[in-house]
Amino acid sequence: MLSLLGGIFLGWSLGANDASNVFGSAVASKMLKFWSAAILASLFVLIGAVLEGGTGIETVSALTLLDLESAVVSSVAAAITVTLMTLLGLPVSTSQAVVGALIGIGLLNRQFNFAGLEKIVVCWIGTPIAGTVIAIILYRVLAVFYNRLKVNLFQSDIILRLCLIGAGAYGAYALGANNVANVTAVFVGAGLLTVLAATLIGGLSIGLGILTFSRPVMETVGKRLVRLDPFSAFVVVFAEAITVHFYAFVGVPVSTSQAVVGAVLGVGIIKGIQTVSRRTLFNILVGWLLTPIVATVLALMLDFGIHLQYVPNP
Amino acid sequence: MLGFFFKKQRHVESLIYKYLDNFRETQKRFEDGLNTCLAASDCGVVDFLAEQTHKFESRGDDIREEIKTLMYAKALIPESRGDIMGLLEALDKIPGLFQLLLYMIKTQKLVIPEFMVSEIKELIEVSLATCELMLQQIERLFQGSPGVRALVSSIDHNESQCDHIERRIITNLFNSDLDPYKKILLKELVVYMGEISNQAEHVSRRANIIKMKRTV
Repeated sequence: MLSLLGGIFLGWSLGANDASNVFGSAVASKMLKFWSAAILASLFVLIGAVLEGGTGIETVSALTLLDLESAVVSSVAAAITVTLMTLLGLPVSTSQAVVGALIGIGLLNRQFNFAGLEKIVVCWIGTPIAGTVIAIILYRVLAVFYNRLKVNLFQSDIILRLCLIGAGAYGAYALGANNVANVTAVFVGAGLLTVLAATLIGGLSIGLGILTFSRPVMETVGKRLVRLDPFSAFVVVFAEAITVHFYAFVGVPVSTSQAVVGAVLGVGIIKGIQTVSRRTLFNILVGWLLTPIVATVLALMLDFGIHLQYVPNP
Repeated sequence: MLGFFFKKQRHVESLIYKYLDNFRETQKRFEDGLNTCLAASDCGVVDFLAEQTHKFESRGDDIREEIKTLMYAKALIPESRGDIMGLLEALDKIPGLFQLLLYMIKTQKLVIPEFMVSEIKELIEVSLATCELMLQQIERLFQGSPGVRALVSSIDHNESQCDHIERRIITNLFNSDLDPYKKILLKELVVYMGEISNQAEHVSRRANIIKMKRTV
């Protein structure tokens, strides 16, 4: 059980950080009480993890050969990377941290599935692009229906609120389905957990993070989305959910934050306004490049550290 | 059916209609008060109707506060809260003008000279008709009925007409032999009367923007 602590910590921090991408706008704008959002998000994360999290777990656990020791090293290295990058204020993807750590382990045991890595990197590049494209399509299509609705201001308000809550719940489901692999896949690879147990433990630890520590992140990060009009905020959350869910089908864990940024960019293109600053894009690029590198180096250092032996002088 | 799940929203909606009804009551008391004053050479009789106007204006403030409290208790999405409060605050300036005008007449003991009566009646008539159009436009906005945009041009037309009447009254006033001190007081009264349609036009433009913002 102790061996799982690194993974549980990773799941906890993932829940605390990423719930803001799905329910941040609803909570920050006080459309939904924090506790309602947190309970909804945890529930849907768990359902998503258990029902559809298996594919991602198989992809990540097949990246390299893992034993219990290397599984613990990789999850701790990923957890430290996420914490470090967060402290540095750089946008961080848990998926990239986990894969980075696994690259480190793969370099050590000289057995790495490069075909699997290629698929993952392609998906990482595709995440913000898919977020942008899906947001543009969704905005165009949904706007036609929305403008044709014969509703008054109050009814339109209710519809938008329900849509935002629905998209948030779907986003939480997609988050669980996609990101649970980051949390417990290494333990499946090491033979410590079955896929079902991994999805359950992973889903619960993400849910725990949402329930215990997501409030401040939801309130601050959510305000960025609230600056968009309610319809655009709904499109952004919905596009992010579809993007992340699509990659859950493919079986590659991706960053929900990068999907959100892509979707916000898409809405900006439609409306002809700058929704994402160049500095944000630059920070994302730096985080995107640094996270796997830092995680790889940390995994190598940790592995080196635990294999140090005290050799007394003869 | 959706309303069942969103009681606060339904309550805000009913309060807005209550506010609009109260606006009409305030307007009626003002119109009665002013007509009484214009009909009688002595405006002292306006007291009772000025107090009635004040009573309805205060009731309007109370309803507005209730709407504000309810909306910020998490009813409606933030954008709608801001839009509705902005609209009501702009709208609420008009009952304030009704009250102010009757109090000006009462406290400054103003007597409207004979040569101004018909033109002031005309100005008030067009101003109040503009207010009625504005109320219809707001009702359409909240009911989701078409024609919000079309009413902007009618209101705009009325407002221009009010400006012409106002300028004519002031020109005639300063061409008259009245005491300059009375001229200044009456000019101030006419300017405030003209402000009614200006404010109605401002509210109408706001309502139109709210409508346009909801077209994505």
